[in-house]
Amino acid sequence: MGSFKYTFRDAARLIVRHWGLSLLTILTSMAVFYLIGASVLLVLNARHIVGVLEGELSIQAYLATEISADILLPRVRALPHVTKADLVTKDEALKRLRDRVLDSRIPDIVTLLDDNPLPPSFEVWVDRADNVESVANDLRAISGVSEVVYAVEVAQKLAKFSSFAGKFSLAILIVAITASAVVLFNTIRIAVYSKEEEIGIMLMVGATPTFVAMPFVIQGIILGGLGSLGASVFLALSYNAITESIKELLPFLPFLERGVVVMQLGVILVGAGGTVSLIASLVAVETFTKRAMKPL
Amino acid sequence: MDIRFSGVSKIFYPDITALEDVYLEIPKGEFVYLVGPTGSGKTTLLRCITREVAPTRGQITVGSFSLRKISRVDLSIFRRDIGIIFQDFCLLPHLNVFENVAFVLEVLGAPPREVKERTGEILDQVNLWRRRFLYPPQLSGGEQQRVAVARAIVNAPSVLLADEPTGNLDLHTAEEIMQLIISINALGTTVIMATHNQYLVDAYRQRVIGIRSGRVVRDEKRGRYNLDGEL
Repeated sequence: MGSFKYTFRDAARLIVRHWGLSLLTILTSMAVFYLIGASVLLVLNARHIVGVLEGELSIQAYLATEISADILLPRVRALPHVTKADLVTKDEALKRLRDRVLDSRIPDIVTLLDDNPLPPSFEVWVDRADNVESVANDLRAISGVSEVVYAVEVAQKLAKFSSFAGKFSLAILIVAITASAVVLFNTIRIAVYSKEEEIGIMLMVGATPTFVAMPFVIQGIILGGLGSLGASVFLALSYNAITESIKELLPFLPFLERGVVVMQLGVILVGAGGTVSLIASLVAVETFTKRAMKPL
Repeated sequence: MDIRFSGVSKIFYPDITALEDVYLEIPKGEFVYLVGPTGSGKTTLLRCITREVAPTRGQITVGSFSLRKISRVDLSIFRRDIGIIFQDFCLLPHLNVFENVAFVLEVLGAPPREVKERTGEILDQVNLWRRRFLYPPQLSGGEQQRVAVARAIVNAPSVLLADEPTGNLDLHTAEEIMQLIISINALGTTVIMATHNQYLVDAYRQRVIGIRSGRVVRDEKRGRYNLDGEL
């Protein structure tokens, strides 16, 4: 009980005694954790958008005749990476064209068609954008399929964007976590050196290294925790504003809903802040006490 | 706790011999003066007991602890039974008198009530109760040293190491501190005191160990500081 009280009282003293440094550390870790949170949100949204767009990305495999369609459909569905495949009959294709053209400003064009010239086709959906090309090649290999049409560039760009967003965010995550660890490590190290004499006396009267380390570790966790908590609050406030302004420019982009995602991310950020602070503080104090207890 | 030095030598890099082939045996409850010129090895000997200094050769045992190889946790436990009085007091300037003494008990995890009671008793014993809210810079040298003594004995250690505890004090104050240390020894605490104070050594006759150039040159049961021009 006495140790507990001492630890927290001393941690509070450390924060107050170096209030300027404490504030700077909180602000720095807040900025760093904001960056981490923002990059995580970027990845999550990129994946979400890619996922939604991938779901809408389909391959059109045109058939030479409608006769073989029922035989070929199970083969198409059995292809790897195919999540769904439907037959679009000649009549259905014409209906779709009519609907589409009637919506446009030149509806009369359809009335000019006496006979239905549209071929039957399979409409095929795949699991991921980067598998579109291989599925298209498999479809071409099926006899009876005369032509395969898909948005090559869209598929390739989506796949590239998804991969780039993942790598970019991972790089930001590593840099940001390292930066926050270094900032916290230095703050704790300065606090440790400011109490060098006191720690020396503590170790001489029989305090264990763990006991000596505890106030600094608590100090680190409080500073890192406050920084990440502040970052979570700012992230929640700014996320809505940012997504709303992007939606105004690009209304078709489907963003993740704010509430759940930011709340979960906030919990993760505070946890990460606490963990990084704990490790950085432990390393800073441990290095010092190890050296202080080493005999000459 | 018995203290035993067996062939202890300490050579600081590159070739400064601080202690050379020291054999000593200090039984529990004894009062020992360490005398010798500045740089003779008195402080190194004391620091070997606290394991701030590790011997280059030889072995030191204090009670059941062998100091040659001791883990950090065991070292902490060992040091709880050693009280240290420094010549320059080593008080924490941002803590008041009460906090400077209570600090030791807090560090050792004593319950708050015990910390308060025990610190009060000790401050009363060293006549500093009325000055408990003052900070070290507000105290005289003698008062600061009494705080240092109080801090060293507050957890009732088995061994008290005092490195020139009267070095910065006038004779009257030095005698007050000496009386205090003698009274602590009377309660069974082993006291090892490094000193240059000839008056105190001769007035309060105890075992005297003379050190010169890192060697024990004399060891007398009830010795004097300076005998026939020697140490």
